[in-house]
Amino acid sequence: MKISWPHMGSLEVVLASVFEELGLEYVPAPPNSERTLELGARYGPEFACFPLKTTLGNFIEAIEAGADTLIMVAGRGPCRFGYYAETQRRILEDAGYEFEMVPLTFHLGKMPLLMRQLRRLKQSASWTSLARAVKIALSKAYLIDRLEQQALHQRYLDRDKGATTSALKECYEMVFQCDGYDRLRRVEREGFELLHSVPKTERQPIKIGIIGEFYLVLEPFFNLQVEEQLGYLGAYVERNIYLTDWLRPSGNKPIAGHHDSESEEAARPYLTHAVGGEGLHSVGNTVLFHRHGFDGVVHLMPFTCMPETIAKSILPMVSQDLGIPVLSLVIDEMTGKAGVATRLEAFVDLAHFRRRAHRQELPLAPQPAF
Amino acid sequence: MLYFRYGRLWNSFLNALGAEVVESGETTRSILTSGVSKAENESCLPVKVFYGHVLALKDKVDALFVPRLVSVKKNTHTCPKMLGLPDMAKSAVGEKVDIIAPTIDFHFGLWTNYRAVYSTGRRFTRNPAKIISSGIEAWKEHGSYLEKLTMGVDHKQALEGGSEQRLCEGRELRVGVIGHHYNVYDTFTTMSLLERLGAMGVDVMTADMVPETLRELELKKLPQEIYWSYEQEIAGAILACGRYKLVDGIIFMISFPCGPDSIIRVLCEQEIRSMDTVPMMTLVMDEHTGEGGFLTRIEAFVDMLRRKKDRAEADNRVVVAV
Repeated sequence: MKISWPHMGSLEVVLASVFEELGLEYVPAPPNSERTLELGARYGPEFACFPLKTTLGNFIEAIEAGADTLIMVAGRGPCRFGYYAETQRRILEDAGYEFEMVPLTFHLGKMPLLMRQLRRLKQSASWTSLARAVKIALSKAYLIDRLEQQALHQRYLDRDKGATTSALKECYEMVFQCDGYDRLRRVEREGFELLHSVPKTERQPIKIGIIGEFYLVLEPFFNLQVEEQLGYLGAYVERNIYLTDWLRPSGNKPIAGHHDSESEEAARPYLTHAVGGEGLHSVGNTVLFHRHGFDGVVHLMPFTCMPETIAKSILPMVSQDLGIPVLSLVIDEMTGKAGVATRLEAFVDLAHFRRRAHRQELPLAPQPAF
Repeated sequence: MLYFRYGRLWNSFLNALGAEVVESGETTRSILTSGVSKAENESCLPVKVFYGHVLALKDKVDALFVPRLVSVKKNTHTCPKMLGLPDMAKSAVGEKVDIIAPTIDFHFGLWTNYRAVYSTGRRFTRNPAKIISSGIEAWKEHGSYLEKLTMGVDHKQALEGGSEQRLCEGRELRVGVIGHHYNVYDTFTTMSLLERLGAMGVDVMTADMVPETLRELELKKLPQEIYWSYEQEIAGAILACGRYKLVDGIIFMISFPCGPDSIIRVLCEQEIRSMDTVPMMTLVMDEHTGEGGFLTRIEAFVDMLRRKKDRAEADNRVVVAV
């Protein structure tokens, strides 16, 4: 049994280390590429959301690389994400691939089902070893998230473009290699030292927040490295979601530094009810970013994503009310990198001008809706 | 957006409370155009139409009634767009018009819904008995409306209570037109598909007319349950039509880019193909759909069904029509 799963940011490291720990065979899906997207768009339903197509592409490439057991998360809720596993299973079967899909069902009423699915995955390994493996993998993910956050915060200071990114890559490797809590603590120290030791310049940053649908925010290949681009343009970047924050069932988000209820509270004047996915929190986090003195917010959404479409139709109102610029980037298989880069540059320039105008207390032109 | 399902309910409830109800009426070209210009590009067609209706009403009324339907059945959800409708309406009209948005959610039992309805009623009258009685009255009206839809009465007649022309009259060919209420009954966006099919001498069967027990039976066979309430209806109806040959052909109406339907479509197409009983055509509508192309496809589909049926009869095979 060769297990594989779709890419999503640092999820790769987490799951790989779980299976490594348990001594199970796994095949990581080939890295995201244009081909992944092409395959996903060819087999995926016409106007299904973007992540469905990309993860479908991952699956096809993984099967070609020899995987025969695919993991996907399933559930329920107004968003389509809960039905991905079933849909993708049908599509892949139609396309003639041979595999077994294990949908991990995270739903309170369905715990026995989840246990059965996990038993199929862990095979002969014991439950305690599974729990231990998951625990250390989550600690690793937590560390990676904090390292990523550090990179986001300092990238604008880079003297040599790309130095932070390559340091971060080194950190990923270090975290993945380590196999115990002692080493993890050492890697933590080393990783942060490595990031801090990147040569820096003096620069006045502008602060930009990234909000949006979690897959796109977490997956750098498909959001066209928005974080990196913003960093190179001289922005101190913060995002509203990190992998371990997202996995936490309590709604507490220690890395992003707030609790879900706070952002729900903040969104109340504009959106009063959860709309599935990250819709409500996208609106709420825009308000929170404004409160924390950010100069602008970049909103990432996959084409036809239902919750984010609602957020997008409400964000102009938030933007006008609070006077914080919001740039909504709708991303699908047709999105070109140059177009996004141009818009980000213009957006960062705009944020710079606004900040200068604020400092000199120049009269601001009325805020146009984005 | 949900007028074709709950219009009767809301109307009679608000009327009984003594409110003056102004309807935006049928969708027209100008409503659609204004909706398209105001709504997000990525919204689906019904949301754009909804924006159009909101804009058409905004200068005529003091308050807009846009209920927030979270869940209409236990363990199911509606589409996220319906959860956000009141807030989207608010962003469309600004502060000028009040939005009455009771939250209907069957996850938490009847009591919260009762409270939502009651608080809506309190805006119009201080008499609790009146609220309750008009609520019950409206619910009865709603029941009879749904029953008429089930019997195959055209929704317009069911709404107005005019002559009861049936969609299904026992003509030689029967086509299932299945989709969301707003995709099937809206005469403008569907280009009066139902009437046209009737004029072609074809019986129409909507999702309402498929017996609920058959729909439930089909849904139980699925490996993973569908958790959208309206999609349950649609998928159940399509699968039941296919399994029991209730119709000669199915037309699946989807509006671009409907989220849940894009997923359900994969499921239905695969299941129908594996059953190999009736042909299915998927029609995707958006604001650019041209009438000509739309009609041609329907005519071709009906012709194909007719030929298939003729040939089957010529072969002396027994075609079981339930």
